[in-house]
Amino acid sequence: MVAFLSFVVIVLLFAVLVLVARANELSQVLNTGKFEFRGQSRLNGYLLLGFLVLMFAGSAYAFKELAPVMIPKAASLHGVKTDQLFNITMMIIGVAFVLTQVAVFYFAYRYNESRVDSAYFYPHNNTLEVVWTVIPAVVLTGLIAMGMYEWMKIFNVEARDKNMLVVEATAKQFNWIVRYPGKDGKLGKRVIDTAHVTPTNELGINWEDANSHDDFMADKIYLVKDRPVLMKLGAQDVLHSFYLPHFRVKMDCVPGLPTEFYFTPTMTTKDMQEYLSTQPWWQTINPETGEPRWKTFKYELACAELCGKSHYGMQREVVVVTQKEYDEWLNTQTAIYESMKPKVEEPKAEVTEEKTEIKVEAMVINK
Amino acid sequence: MQTAHTVEHGHEVIHGHEEHHHEETFLTKYIFSQDHKMISKQFLITGIFWGVVGGLLSVLFRLQLGWPNETFPFLETFLGKWAEGGKISNEFYYALVTMHGTILVFFVLTGGLSGTFANLLIPYQIGARDMASPFMNMLSYWFFLSASVVMLFSFFIQTGPASGGWTAYPPLNGMRNTSVNLGSGLGFDLWILGMTLFIVSSLLGGLNYVATVLNMRTKGMSMMKMPLTMWALMFTAVIGILSFPALLAGCVLLEFDRLLDTSFYLNNIIINGQLLGYKGGSPILFQHLFWFLGHPEVYIIIIPAMGIVSEVLAVHSRKPIFGYKAMVLSILAILILSFIVWAHHMFVTGLNPNLGAVFTLFTLLIAIPSAIKVFNWIGTLWKGKIRLSAAGLFGIGFVSMFITGGLTGIILGNSALDIQLHDTMFVVAHFHIVMGVAAFFGMFAGVYHWFPRLYGRFMNETLGQIHFYVTLVGAYAIFFPMHFMTGLPRRYYTYANFETFNNFNHLAAFISIAAIVVFLGQLIFVVNFFYSIFKGRKVVGEKAADGYEYANPWGATSMEWTAPVERLHGNWPGDIPEIHRWPYDYATKGREFIPQTEPLKPGEVEHE
Repeated sequence: MVAFLSFVVIVLLFAVLVLVARANELSQVLNTGKFEFRGQSRLNGYLLLGFLVLMFAGSAYAFKELAPVMIPKAASLHGVKTDQLFNITMMIIGVAFVLTQVAVFYFAYRYNESRVDSAYFYPHNNTLEVVWTVIPAVVLTGLIAMGMYEWMKIFNVEARDKNMLVVEATAKQFNWIVRYPGKDGKLGKRVIDTAHVTPTNELGINWEDANSHDDFMADKIYLVKDRPVLMKLGAQDVLHSFYLPHFRVKMDCVPGLPTEFYFTPTMTTKDMQEYLSTQPWWQTINPETGEPRWKTFKYELACAELCGKSHYGMQREVVVVTQKEYDEWLNTQTAIYESMKPKVEEPKAEVTEEKTEIKVEAMVINK
Repeated sequence: MQTAHTVEHGHEVIHGHEEHHHEETFLTKYIFSQDHKMISKQFLITGIFWGVVGGLLSVLFRLQLGWPNETFPFLETFLGKWAEGGKISNEFYYALVTMHGTILVFFVLTGGLSGTFANLLIPYQIGARDMASPFMNMLSYWFFLSASVVMLFSFFIQTGPASGGWTAYPPLNGMRNTSVNLGSGLGFDLWILGMTLFIVSSLLGGLNYVATVLNMRTKGMSMMKMPLTMWALMFTAVIGILSFPALLAGCVLLEFDRLLDTSFYLNNIIINGQLLGYKGGSPILFQHLFWFLGHPEVYIIIIPAMGIVSEVLAVHSRKPIFGYKAMVLSILAILILSFIVWAHHMFVTGLNPNLGAVFTLFTLLIAIPSAIKVFNWIGTLWKGKIRLSAAGLFGIGFVSMFITGGLTGIILGNSALDIQLHDTMFVVAHFHIVMGVAAFFGMFAGVYHWFPRLYGRFMNETLGQIHFYVTLVGAYAIFFPMHFMTGLPRRYYTYANFETFNNFNHLAAFISIAAIVVFLGQLIFVVNFFYSIFKGRKVVGEKAADGYEYANPWGATSMEWTAPVERLHGNWPGDIPEIHRWPYDYATKGREFIPQTEPLKPGEVEHE
């Protein structure tokens, strides 16, 4: 009923608006004999000037209210750099924004027909054209150079730390399968064929590869502060995207095409909580938990590529800890192989030779 | 006069049989018309229909995004199982965003915008009696309409319309028979069929536009004497002709994967621990094919708007467009660059990082011609005598929107920054302002400006100006604060599962309210449009010796206003006028404007 009534009200408002607008035009034509824009131009000139002020005031207000709520500062090495570049770019385009918007709306006001007698014939000026071609070109060259430098650094395979952590994340509708290499630091090989991929072994882990025997699945993604990590990414069914907003990490997970992302976390979850506890907005109470917001802060993994109807639900917690805490956590994990043992059809004798195979397989990881 | 036509067609419906020898029947004049002006109206009205539908879809999903915990019982009344208990289901939410994107990008801002203004303006502004092939032109509309019917039909099938995103990425959209996938039902097959028909329409239209501009210009109308609208519409058509076939190929292969179980885009798909038989394809291949059209597509949308605004701003500033040659060259530069930037949509999709660096370079280069255009528009406003009518206002609003949206492109085009921003609300804010809202502003400027040419009447100015302010303030209210949602993934049904993203609920509600207001504001335009067709203030002109009434309501130099107010078949009753000057002789030689058709006086020096 309320919906129906509001519908009727809206229709009536429209009808009134149309009639008033019609009458407004007719009366002008009746009074003056023709339709004149000059008066409207005067009014619109002021309104545009007003809009300019409103836009800047609104932008400032939005910045004041919303900037503190945004995802906090980067917690990874490369993220700090890209955030810097983001801020530099933002400042440059901020200046361009203010100058050009002022020009557009101020000129519209200043040179509307109620304020000037005649227009000035000024069809072109080659010097001006060159100036406003060269200035953006120079600025953009700088931004391109800085961006490319950071980009190539992020994806520089040669510069990777040999001591890096390797973690595998495989996405499927609508979950993440996170596999850790266990204490040997090496992930067991996977074979994608019908013999290996089964409902109990979705990833197609090759149990003949001894490196797989201490691999374990994790609910939460544990990372080590200041220790580089190589995320080996893949997908089972459709496209997904491995997105760690706090670390400025994003890479698609593609079925049948392995991808990866190498980065270094720089703040433990605790470090970040401590940092946020100094930020005014994060000190406010979260009505849902009844606690200051910084206390319940956690790093999260999200899916950033539309992957189906529950795309928005692919959440996992990410925990960054010190190496010591990580080692402790590692000790509490159970290898998949242990639970799989009865199901592995042909347990090979080489299982016991686990340790000798490790060195051979070291190449696989650095591939 | 429009009223006269209306009476006449009523008459012909009744006496259709007796008068079938008559040259123009209702059917040939209004339905299967080959007249460029009628086809233009058909495109425009179909476009307006789709604009309302596409806007309404966004209002529906904004209800979910703005108030994720509320229920709206009336939704169940209208949508049934898609909104059980008054809450839009996640499946339907994804259908809404998918179809919103498809409809607005293709059916409104490509078909509706290019279709309307290329058909209306090309013959009028270059001095041709009609298009090079009026029949192909008619087919272009009818393919467009069939595409529309197929797309609309897909809303009413049991499994719902396509819901795997307007980008139609496989494997999500590449398999038909798996229960876990969404957006892969009949709705998506219809999407492909609809898009195929649409591409045919676009190619038929585009070939026609280019052929007409190149071959059918009147005497004296050299290329450099064409109004900027002509350059823009021709270049747009060239982009479409070169890029749409890639999408068609991509879509056909996708349908092969779906129906014939081929593996163009599929490899090693594992569902519930079962390896399916697809082998050797690549999902990335589809992304290349899609974005090879998809990126030029945004220029297909924005360049006609640029052309329209260049013309409208010059006419309403009573001043020549600043830097005509620079304007032409910058569109040409955009045309060329638009073909080598597509992979900036794919920086983090598994593309080789070295390619990412190359595409960053080209992407940021495209900002240079865009900047030149902006400075030239500002230069045009400077020291003009600006008539702030609805058309002029929308032209100015376009420049403002294009600046705001274009600047954030400098951030997104930089691959290192795109890692964080890819597929987030920041992108949504960016492209909605720069190619959504801005293109709409250009379209509105064009409709208000050329409505007298289309219907012999004006649109109501008061309503037009109210429409402008609601849209300007409202669109900024929607999309400006959205930039602060940096890092929030797009295409999320709710952010409630994430602590990281769940802090913007007030802002989301604010944006939704603004979106609803803007949508209602657009209805002002729709009402104004149809009301003015029948009841708008008539264009008053002067009767000439040939008995026709001639009017130049905005005091423009271009030659569409040298044709009678009445829309004649063949446009000019006598010979087509000859062109003697460039199109922007405003405020010069002691006169407010000099029409292009006016011969040079003895001893008068032509501009440049």
